[in-house]
Amino acid sequence: MVEKKNISRRTFIKGTSAAAILAGVGGTVANFDGELDASQAQAATSSTATKCFNSCPRNCYDTCSVVSTVEDGVITYVTGNPNNTYTNGRLCVKGYSYPRSIYSPDRIKYPMKQNGKGTGDWERISWDEAYDLISDKILDIKERYGDTIPIALDKYSGNFNILSYCVEGMMTSFGHTTRVVGTPCWPAGIDSQSFDFGGIVNSDPETFVNSEYLIIWGANPAWCSVHSMAIIQKAKENGTKIIAIDSIQTDTASKADMFVEIKPSTDGSLALGMCKYILDNNLHDLTWMEENSIGYQNFLDYLDNNVTLEWASETSGVPVATIELLAKEYAAANPASIWIGYGMQRHTNGGASVRAIDALVAMSGNIGKLGGGANYAQLDTWGYTYNAQVHTSYPEGTPEGADRGVNINNFGAEVLDINTNGDIPVEMLWVACRNPISQAAETGVMKKCYESIDMVVVADMYMNPTVEMADIVLPVTTIFETWGVHSSYWHYWININEQAIDPLYEAKCDVEIAMGLSAALNAKEPGSCTFNTTMTSMRDWVEAEMLDSTLASMGLSNWEELLETGTAKVQGYETPFSDGVFRTPSTKYEFISENAAKYDNHPLPAYRAEEFAPSGYPYRVLTPHWKLGLHSQFQNLDWMSSIHNEPFVEMHSSIASSLGIEDGEIVKVSSDIGFVTVKTYITDTTPIDSVVIYEAWYKDIDFNVNYIVKATPADMGAFATGKPGIAFHDSFVKIEKL
Amino acid sequence: MANQFGFIVHLERCVGCNACVVSCKSYNKVEATINRRTVTPLDENLTGVTSRTYRSIACNHCEDPACAKSCPTGAYTKDENGIVVHDFDVCIGCKMCSYACPYNAPCFNPEESRMDKCDMCKSLIDDGEMPMCVQSCPLEAIECVNMATIDESQYEKTVDGFPDITITSPNVRFVMPTAGTVVRRDS
Repeated sequence: MVEKKNISRRTFIKGTSAAAILAGVGGTVANFDGELDASQAQAATSSTATKCFNSCPRNCYDTCSVVSTVEDGVITYVTGNPNNTYTNGRLCVKGYSYPRSIYSPDRIKYPMKQNGKGTGDWERISWDEAYDLISDKILDIKERYGDTIPIALDKYSGNFNILSYCVEGMMTSFGHTTRVVGTPCWPAGIDSQSFDFGGIVNSDPETFVNSEYLIIWGANPAWCSVHSMAIIQKAKENGTKIIAIDSIQTDTASKADMFVEIKPSTDGSLALGMCKYILDNNLHDLTWMEENSIGYQNFLDYLDNNVTLEWASETSGVPVATIELLAKEYAAANPASIWIGYGMQRHTNGGASVRAIDALVAMSGNIGKLGGGANYAQLDTWGYTYNAQVHTSYPEGTPEGADRGVNINNFGAEVLDINTNGDIPVEMLWVACRNPISQAAETGVMKKCYESIDMVVVADMYMNPTVEMADIVLPVTTIFETWGVHSSYWHYWININEQAIDPLYEAKCDVEIAMGLSAALNAKEPGSCTFNTTMTSMRDWVEAEMLDSTLASMGLSNWEELLETGTAKVQGYETPFSDGVFRTPSTKYEFISENAAKYDNHPLPAYRAEEFAPSGYPYRVLTPHWKLGLHSQFQNLDWMSSIHNEPFVEMHSSIASSLGIEDGEIVKVSSDIGFVTVKTYITDTTPIDSVVIYEAWYKDIDFNVNYIVKATPADMGAFATGKPGIAFHDSFVKIEKL
Repeated sequence: MANQFGFIVHLERCVGCNACVVSCKSYNKVEATINRRTVTPLDENLTGVTSRTYRSIACNHCEDPACAKSCPTGAYTKDENGIVVHDFDVCIGCKMCSYACPYNAPCFNPEESRMDKCDMCKSLIDDGEMPMCVQSCPLEAIECVNMATIDESQYEKTVDGFPDITITSPNVRFVMPTAGTVVRRDS
């Protein structure tokens, strides 16, 4: 059903530097098992290679435009697209692993059903059988309940192809369903900026080179946005002073001109301390505040009445002299930029911390300036029709009512509650683009939740911990085996994704799966599913997503122009808010926010106290992203495990010596809900009262840090995303020798 | 006089990401379980203050390669660019080279029962291009140069934990990481 791709032989790269990087097509070719194949190797030397533009669909700042080399229907190599000035023609470690991701022997090859969740007793079934089992279940639910609300969806960020929003569309095509609401990643900070600016609009990160002074606050681009790190490195070599404020001396902090260590979850106090110094020394931009903001006097009064440098220092652990230095240098630099990371907002006071940093940027007059900004994220480049999601409607005869929302950040407990308390239960769960058993907090609760659901269907590429808890697994394509279009939440490029190769084995993309299920449902009960089954060309699905206004913002008149370059940049985001028009109710920057107050927050960017270690669990556990993976993706590949394959805890030498723990020793790290056993890596780059365990899925290793992470809500997120964020970094542990 | 190509590794830029390792593995179709390039964390006090630093190393294409000396079948030769080339067809997989090499550059490929080693992407160099690790590093931390052309005063010949370079005279140079200001918590 997928349109057979006619690989273009056009010269797709112009310019000598690009040609120099990309001209080298050679080497040998791997077959699906990664072994050398003589006939293909022969072909490789006979110039049969073609290039395709793909796009990395992962939940990542960088959303790279990828150039795939295809030889005889096999992707032999991928690299970055030199037409994209953000990625500079290079990928990251994860991106370079895509050929293995595609041809891994661990790919799920065909639909299967499991005789008992978690048993490993799998049986191969055909797609027709899979559609038959699932459609029977849906129609049975509909008949017994008169509604499809017992069908739930858990989908998120494993694949941000815009076409994958067809899964939401597929759910609507059944009738009312139960949906996850919210986001685990960044909602507290989104609310903060929605209160202050009226939305999230960061400066184009390529303008970091225009900053005199750049504070990277709670972000680790060296691992999580390496192309931004390259821009920062160039800025540094060009004279920009780079400051890293973090609780961990990350690889980013290790490359900064100055690293300032801060106690976890106290970022707001440091920002307010800097604000106080700026106010006391009359370094603030009062003119900008008068012209562009509301509530600034209330905020200045708050600083006068509630903030001292001594308090800020005691709270944050940052010496008074350093707070003064940071404030003075930041206020003096013109322009100065702050990158606000996601780590700091994964706390119970995370939204308040981001608001305090926003206020620091605003009072310094660094908004609307080239090389300035309070840079958190953006969603302005996500302008699509969302046809795949919205083309469906509830089938005729759907009863009155609405979808039922479940908090994505407490899915396990909420569904268990629904299923045990007499509410209309969740009887069927569809999981797509997500590995919740790995990624959601409180793994033990999540597993119990899955056990309480009659049929769990998971669409995935690998046998991950969520698939292990499924009744039916459906093999999905990688991005290279289908079409798509992709936006970043950080840079301003949009990437096209061409189908480079045929789908492997029996894998299908989400759109094709939805169409197949729709056909099965309508064959049994005509009119029971509204998902489109007639648009069989994936190119047409891409075209249907395109908005003329978005194309125009990239200087394009026709979406197919994207096929010439693979990538194009939405223009006009070098200096957001330079016109002084904000997206707030007042159209001004809001130091005082009625929306914040409405959602039970302080109307001002006031300090909200952090969590402290409870009795018996003296160490905070931070669970940030790992460099060889993105959440539960990539680290499972043997290419990654050949580099590193052992979960570990980073522990400050003072903690280790106080507990008598040696480097390399296996220790038990327990919170009040569970434990993990991991190897100790002694370091002085982590805090004296916190340990660091990176979140990851290691294939065949019984490790999941979310066994010890509690589903504690963050302070903000409900205003812009429907549910509060999750305080991933506010779990506390004890550590024992084994 | 024959060329001698070598690597310059900018440790002041390297963030230990391993993109060089994986792009090499992908481009050269290296067996999944072995790596031609490795990234190793260095002493946290290398710069004088605590920080994370790394060393990225492949074959150093030595002046006096221990692999070649130890190989009983003559599978290693130096080509016109000074690249130490391993002849897969001559190799018998005895592993003598891996014991002799101070840098563990030759790896045993268990699938082929032969050794495997970096050839500096010789075919790319022949086409006037850079080796894949150089092309792929997102931080542009690896260079491949003709050693005769470099200003030795700009580089270090060894780094923390590196074996004694007098054994084989490796063709690799380093730019050291620099110490930033580090302000740790006072409470």
